[in-house]
Amino acid sequence: MNNISRRSMLAGAAGLFVAPHLTRAQAAKPRLTVISQWSAGSDGAAITALGKKFEEKGGTWQHSPVPGFTTEMMNKLRAQIMAGDPPACSQLKGPEIAAWSKIAPTVDLDALVAAAGYEQVVAPDLARLHKPAGKWISLPLQIYSTNMLFLSKRAMDKAKADKIPVTWADFNTLAQKMKEGGVAHPIANGGTRPDDGQKFEAALAGISPVAYRAAIMTLDESALKGPEVKAAFAQVRKIADWMDPNTAAQHYSTNLQRFVAGDMGMMIQGGWAQGVLLNAGFKLDDFIIAPGPTDNTKPVFLLNADAFIFWQRKEPDLQAGQTLMAQLVMDPAIQTMYSQITGSIPVRSDVDLSGAGWSDGQRQTAAALKEAVANNQAVLSVAHNMAQENGMTAAMIDVITEYVKNKAITPDQAVVRLSDAVEGAR
Amino acid sequence: MTHTVAAETRTGRPVTFGILRRLPEHLAIWVPLLLSAGHLVSFALWTVWISFTPSTLVPVSGWVGLRNYTAVMATRNWQIAFDNLLLFGCGFVLLSLLTGLLLAVLLDQRIRGENVLRSIFLYPIALSFVVTGTVWSWLLNPGLGIQKLVNDIGWTSFRFDWLIDRDMAIWTIVIAAVWQSSGFAMALFLAGLRSVDADLIKAAQIDGAGPIRMYRRVILPTLWPITVTVVVIQLQFAITTFDLVRALTGGGPGLATQLPALVVYDLMFQRGLLARGAAAAVLMLLILLAVLLPYAGWRYLQRRQAAHA
Repeated sequence: MNNISRRSMLAGAAGLFVAPHLTRAQAAKPRLTVISQWSAGSDGAAITALGKKFEEKGGTWQHSPVPGFTTEMMNKLRAQIMAGDPPACSQLKGPEIAAWSKIAPTVDLDALVAAAGYEQVVAPDLARLHKPAGKWISLPLQIYSTNMLFLSKRAMDKAKADKIPVTWADFNTLAQKMKEGGVAHPIANGGTRPDDGQKFEAALAGISPVAYRAAIMTLDESALKGPEVKAAFAQVRKIADWMDPNTAAQHYSTNLQRFVAGDMGMMIQGGWAQGVLLNAGFKLDDFIIAPGPTDNTKPVFLLNADAFIFWQRKEPDLQAGQTLMAQLVMDPAIQTMYSQITGSIPVRSDVDLSGAGWSDGQRQTAAALKEAVANNQAVLSVAHNMAQENGMTAAMIDVITEYVKNKAITPDQAVVRLSDAVEGAR
Repeated sequence: MTHTVAAETRTGRPVTFGILRRLPEHLAIWVPLLLSAGHLVSFALWTVWISFTPSTLVPVSGWVGLRNYTAVMATRNWQIAFDNLLLFGCGFVLLSLLTGLLLAVLLDQRIRGENVLRSIFLYPIALSFVVTGTVWSWLLNPGLGIQKLVNDIGWTSFRFDWLIDRDMAIWTIVIAAVWQSSGFAMALFLAGLRSVDADLIKAAQIDGAGPIRMYRRVILPTLWPITVTVVVIQLQFAITTFDLVRALTGGGPGLATQLPALVVYDLMFQRGLLARGAAAAVLMLLILLAVLLPYAGWRYLQRRQAAHA
């Protein structure tokens, strides 16, 4: 008894000694410094909503958006890392996560990921990107497919067609029908580099996901020079011939009005185009969304995923903020909220998309992802910097964008140029 | 009165007092000059150093020799950019020079409303190149701008689609750049025209020279120092052009309108290849020096001749 009381007294004394620190650490109000490029439109609205949730949980949300291209966000990130003051959390995606994690220490999220059971519900190719050295250091937040097929209802009427094309042959037939039915340009497109890149990746992955994996993701030389890549370039030429040549360097969204009006017929775009269409005031029944054409008739999913990477900080409030943020990002309710605002689909494959608030397009996208993962036909997008680091991606897109704009280049020449460009950038 | 004071300082006061008295002037001139020169030179040297390192996402030390330079010069982007720079540089400088001179000579005719016209011609230079580029990208777009206008009026076979023509797209940048900066050339030339010695003109008039002959033989020859200045200023602008192309063509169609500054930005910030970008930047600096050093030498010779004469 005596002993015990002495022990408890000791413990009590120790407790007294430690307690202030404990309470301070526990009471450290979670705070999070975040940088991302999401400032306006549905992206801005979604991250603002996420910030509100963070604040509801008692945190202080300090988001500094860097509007514009991803590269501008990266410039700010680079400057902050070099100054020794990285944000607690920043947007980053694809192979860039591995590249950037080598220049500054990141947070080990393994315990939090295990607690949330996140690993089991993330597509394996995607999971690999977010734990480059074996440990989770970043968390994917939402998924888009870059090869969704958008069909203009009015253009379909002009072509007197109601069948959604499944293979590239169907696609080409429908485009021809649209042209004959008076649709000025069967393909709606912008003229930016990612736009051109998307046409190529959709063509190659649709022709053969196996060849895509070998040529684009693992840069296998014989695959790069293989017949599938040549066939993909030939398909891209057809697509380019159906586009409006006047788009010059315009953004694809410039042409949405003409697309909905039936002046342009089909659009191969990322799932985000749904959010952009709705944001521009168009209705869900103005267009149809379907998975991109695939010659083996099973959906091919070109993955593009936004993610957050967590940078090591010493401040207890920032560390508490990182824990809270990681928990929020993996939370199915938060992913639901986020995707419903942006038009993406949740990373978690166990989120139920049958309820209100989800569109048919999103349900189809999620179903396509499930099926594509099951058939090993979910691959990483090169046009949106998911398959390769930026230097390699840019070298490949150089070839593709020149090919789209220069009709004098033959598919054979393009194949040679592509493999040369890859060799040069290695 | 002032004369005597000056004489006193020259003879009696110690030199240090003179320096102290002029301290504010020295501070005002030398501190900013040294700071900005130091800033410029130190960053230029730093860029040169980076161009010899294996840096990618962030600067790292190390030595790779000329590897970055050979790699950059072997890329298609750089070769296209360099060819474009020659076309754009020559086309832009010559056209803006001629347009500016023509405008200046026309304005020099003591016409009514000169001030208004001068402001109008000078106005484009007050615009940001991004604005110029964006507006011209609409005007030159065959589906929206000039071509569509002419087609709609009734001349349906009219074609003006340089913006989407790979071979001609670089000239759209020349058009926009000339529009933007010929007012600047005009202002300099006009100042030159106005400073021609009136006696010279009177003498020519007495000798019976007509207006065309007067310009050709008497007035324009006195303008050539200004011409050299305009050429050098426009050339250094041409070499560093970035925002105009970015807004007008985005470097496209394809890679057709790449320019060196675009390649530098692309390498450094889009591809995450700092050292390659730095090498491209140093190459740009060398091109600039190739323009500026002869100019500096020419100025030096001129000054020496003036001193001897």
